[in-house]
Amino acid sequence: MARPAQRTHDRRIMIAMTIYVVVLLGVWPLARTAGEPWLKIGYALAPVLPLFYVIWIMARKILDSDELEQRTHLIGLGVAAAVVSVLSIVSGFLAAAGAMTLESTSVVLMWIFPLLMLAYGAARSQAARRYGGGACDEDERMPAYLRLLSAAALLAFAAAYLYFRKGEQDAAEMMLGMASALAAGSAFFAVRRWRRRRAHSE
Amino acid sequence: MNNHVRQLREQRGWSQGDLAEHLDVSRQTVNAIETSKYDPSLPLAFKIAKLFRQTIESIFVPGKD
Repeated sequence: MARPAQRTHDRRIMIAMTIYVVVLLGVWPLARTAGEPWLKIGYALAPVLPLFYVIWIMARKILDSDELEQRTHLIGLGVAAAVVSVLSIVSGFLAAAGAMTLESTSVVLMWIFPLLMLAYGAARSQAARRYGGGACDEDERMPAYLRLLSAAALLAFAAAYLYFRKGEQDAAEMMLGMASALAAGSAFFAVRRWRRRRAHSE
Repeated sequence: MNNHVRQLREQRGWSQGDLAEHLDVSRQTVNAIETSKYDPSLPLAFKIAKLFRQTIESIFVPGKD
């Protein structure tokens, strides 16, 4: 039986995240001005749909994995759950004590899913490394620098869009900062890949 | 646990990718087994033994614990 290609998985995730950003920028802001409560709820929850698609892709990926891959997924998810749980309880205590405003608590809640994904990815690649696999097995998946560059381009696009919207400058600056960090990461992986290839050819 | 998977694979002239395809696992898993970084489950060990037409105990050797 042919195993599903990692590149296909990467491409699906990239498409889903692009849809997510487009919906977040194009549909979610309409919730603020929507009159009808059901419309407000619909617009506010629209970005959740692409996230369900991401969860479905990940579930498929884990189910199609072999036993060692499932073990690394388990380690990654365990670490991510621990990180997110600690962050949630810290924000819960701070909010209950009145040290955090309700608005900043909602910002923390919105960052839980991205943080979960980030911690899961980092912990899983670390676990894979422990078993001799690379964080970026570039013979089987989209190179890390390309993945990071695509994410940076997506965030840069979102930042540019938000910059020209009234009252969204702070969000634009934050997204631009994230895009810059991802672009720097992409440059690091590109240089590392180039150096490894050069060393391999000598 | 040590094993002779690499020798058996090389005797057949297979790459890690070829063996991975026969076992329906990833190439990284084959590499982890060959380098004794990962001990396979019993079903996978049986699959390896069946593929090489050997017994499990002739392929997998207990290490010093």
